[in-house]
Amino acid sequence: MKPVELETKSGTTAAGKKFFLARISFPLFGYILKRIFIFIPTLFIISLLTFILIAAAPGDPADTMLNRSSGEGQASDKLATDRSYRELRHKLGLDLPIFYLAPSNLAVSDTLIRIPIKNHREMLDRLIYEYGNWPQIETYYHQLKTLEFAIISTKKDSTNANALIELRNTVAKIFIHHEDELLTTLFDDLKKNTAMASNLVEIKIQAEATEAAYGNIKSGATIWKRYIPVIQWSGSHNQYHRWLFGEAKWFGTESDPTKGSGFIRGDYGISFFTKRPVKSVIWDGLWITMLISFLVIIIEYLISIPLGISLAVNKGTSYDSSVTVGLFLTYSLPVFWIGTMAIFFLCSPDYLEIFPPFGLGDATWDDGFLYKLGDLAYHLALPLIIASYASFAYLSRQMRGSMLTVLGQDYIRTARAKGLPENKVIWRHAFRNSLLPIITIFASFFPALIGGSIILEFLFTIPGLGQITYAAVIQKDYPMILTNTMFAAILTLVGYLISDILYAVVDPRISYSKK
Amino acid sequence: MAADTLKSKNEQGYWAFVNKQFRKKKTAVISLYIVIVLAVIAVFAPFLANEKPIVCKYNGELFFPVLKDIAVGFGIGQFQQQFQNVDWKRLNYDMVVFPPVPYLPMNQDDDNIHSKGPFDEQVVPSTRWHHWFGTDELGRDVLSGMIHGTKIAMTVGIVSMLIASIIGILLGSLAGFYGDENFQVSRIRLWGNVTFLFFAFFYSFGTRSYNITDALGKSLGEGFFQLFISLLIFLSVMVIGNLMVIPLKRIPFLAKQVAVPFDLIIMRVIEVLNSIPTLFLILLIISIVRKPNLYVIMAIIGLTGWTGIARFIRAELLKVRNLEYIEAANSLGFSNAYILFRHAIPNALSPVLISIAFGIAGAILTESTLSFLGLGPADTVTWGQLLSYARQIPQAWWLAIFPGFAIFITVTTFNLIGDGLTDAMDPRLKQ
Repeated sequence: MKPVELETKSGTTAAGKKFFLARISFPLFGYILKRIFIFIPTLFIISLLTFILIAAAPGDPADTMLNRSSGEGQASDKLATDRSYRELRHKLGLDLPIFYLAPSNLAVSDTLIRIPIKNHREMLDRLIYEYGNWPQIETYYHQLKTLEFAIISTKKDSTNANALIELRNTVAKIFIHHEDELLTTLFDDLKKNTAMASNLVEIKIQAEATEAAYGNIKSGATIWKRYIPVIQWSGSHNQYHRWLFGEAKWFGTESDPTKGSGFIRGDYGISFFTKRPVKSVIWDGLWITMLISFLVIIIEYLISIPLGISLAVNKGTSYDSSVTVGLFLTYSLPVFWIGTMAIFFLCSPDYLEIFPPFGLGDATWDDGFLYKLGDLAYHLALPLIIASYASFAYLSRQMRGSMLTVLGQDYIRTARAKGLPENKVIWRHAFRNSLLPIITIFASFFPALIGGSIILEFLFTIPGLGQITYAAVIQKDYPMILTNTMFAAILTLVGYLISDILYAVVDPRISYSKK
Repeated sequence: MAADTLKSKNEQGYWAFVNKQFRKKKTAVISLYIVIVLAVIAVFAPFLANEKPIVCKYNGELFFPVLKDIAVGFGIGQFQQQFQNVDWKRLNYDMVVFPPVPYLPMNQDDDNIHSKGPFDEQVVPSTRWHHWFGTDELGRDVLSGMIHGTKIAMTVGIVSMLIASIIGILLGSLAGFYGDENFQVSRIRLWGNVTFLFFAFFYSFGTRSYNITDALGKSLGEGFFQLFISLLIFLSVMVIGNLMVIPLKRIPFLAKQVAVPFDLIIMRVIEVLNSIPTLFLILLIISIVRKPNLYVIMAIIGLTGWTGIARFIRAELLKVRNLEYIEAANSLGFSNAYILFRHAIPNALSPVLISIAFGIAGAILTESTLSFLGLGPADTVTWGQLLSYARQIPQAWWLAIFPGFAIFITVTTFNLIGDGLTDAMDPRLKQ
């Protein structure tokens, strides 16, 4: 047999060899520690990747949370919503740059991200793109704000009501457009409407000032600034740092309750949708997914190991060939199809009503322990069967293959030659060695189960990690998606770790030190 | 003469052998035929299920409306005035040949709404118009959806695997062939390339971001033109950068050769990607896309699915790079890149076929899963989408059985082909 090299599904070892830690000789415990150390940079990269992906998402979270309509209402209302919006953005840290450093150009200013309205930010970004002179653009923007304020603070009366509505609409358009032609016509509209009533003098002055500011942008364009790359350094005042490490004090008690303590200290933020802390939602779902995955793995290994062995021992018989074909077909059956069919035909009053179609049971706190357990088992039975069958088919095929390989080895022939009963040959000599490939599979199994939880929990409406993630994706609840993805990654890495440890326990030839 | 036959035998040796071994396996051969049938259905979907006639004679003139429709789809020509906004079924033809399934997947049959089953009583003019696989809640023909779904499934499987294979083969072969030590460049060239990569990105995409997105918003053609310009800028910056490096090489410190650890970097990337369960990663990406259409879905599946292929070809190249013919090519003075692309990759490629076959099955499965979850392409009918309707209508067994069976058959055949290829290419079977 080939010498078994320590290799993991995650491919960490190839990379890990470079790691200076790998050069130090460790016993098993030290080996586990080393693996954990290797996981940490991986997790950091994953967190960075997911965070930046999410930060690039369209839509304005604060806007979604406030559910506000734009441009309507009285001046005081508008100011109030503006203020609460600004405060929310500040609370969520959205007015901070995304990362420690960002590639940019000389024309872009870091104050742009503080502009509290997404549409306006996009418009200003466009203007920068076209003219490259932030100081003038900023002046223009403030002037436009003054104009808007002048319009909403003007008292309405019978003479100017129509004109005011028109003006407000026009200004709302100016706020989100950058095209030169369109802006020119919009400014003309402003002039026309201010002339419609006599008491709009203040607005007229502001409108002219705004147009002049716009003219300044055009005349003082500095497009060359856009072609000079800079790297903006924002220090630790950025969204990623805030999310990961938090702003609260590390030691002692934090007096300011609004300061979060960051992901690594167990603060996952607030759900955009339910407005509950993400932490409580996640922990509710996590144990369910963990429980299901754990049970599925036990069921799979309990069935597929004996089945695989019996297939290998009876190789070439009709039993072997028919079961092998059957297993292949089972393996290819899509889970969501079989799940739908099962719910359709086994959980419906129209056909057979054997299993409950959804949920985790209706046992309450006061019910007895046995009742609760029974109820849970009754509700979990079908999901467990559906979750197990596909990978159990795969696992049995693998077990059969690896047992066959082992049975073809010289030492098995030796064992048989010295007269050992077949039973002993298989269980004493072949079994342990044939387990090795099965255990490596565990490493790819676990992520598959976590990923599969999305389909399974969607099918059976089980409120686990998968269902929470699915709902979060539909609702675009980004803190939730971010945390779920991080947890899925952490669970996967833990799965790799467990498979490494199992591998070491089963195969005594593995050494944890480099030769 | 003897030498000639020997030579030709050697040339076609491997593939002839694989072909022979593959043919031995009945299931794999049958699967191949099924795939061919599916491909034919996919290609001729508009002729198999369409509301417009294939051929018709109208007012004494002969028309080919389906062909015309395809031409119009490509932007060639327009429908005649008399055919615009007509109900094709109710025209008075002199002669007409309708497709076997006279329905389009997205169009509703108002007479048969609320999911009529194949055996239910349907309101149709004659058996010719019967909905053989029933209709869905909105009265859309399921069989037509299945036929057009074949097109989607095959396209997704092949295109996304194409993306995945290109990335996987490129990165996997870099990692396997060069390893951590074998790619040596001078210090200044390494630094220069990293720096100029930043500049190239900045000038090609950073400063032109709105040009590209605006053009893409207008039309695909203009978008590609702008992307092409960006690509040109990118390449020219890189070329200029590499030219500027040459004089600096005179300085001994900068000219010192250093190794680029391709293997380390690429395996780390793979590790990170593999650490996020694929479905979570795909959902994460979908959540930030405004409206996922078919192209986006294919790109996402391709971009997340290359790690398996990369690992496969890496392992293969680790073996290949120590073989004698690579050494021979080296001693003949060929450059590393030439050897990699001309000799090493082609010889490592055949086992990758296996993972591509399995990958197509996986991609089709992923797409139908997404559609089933309601997160798939919104602009077309897919198998997974049809299956998902079954959850809302507990009586419509035809929605639960037919689309799921189509997914199952397609996925199984690709898996069986992969299985057949594995056996056919297994060198242990070679005598």
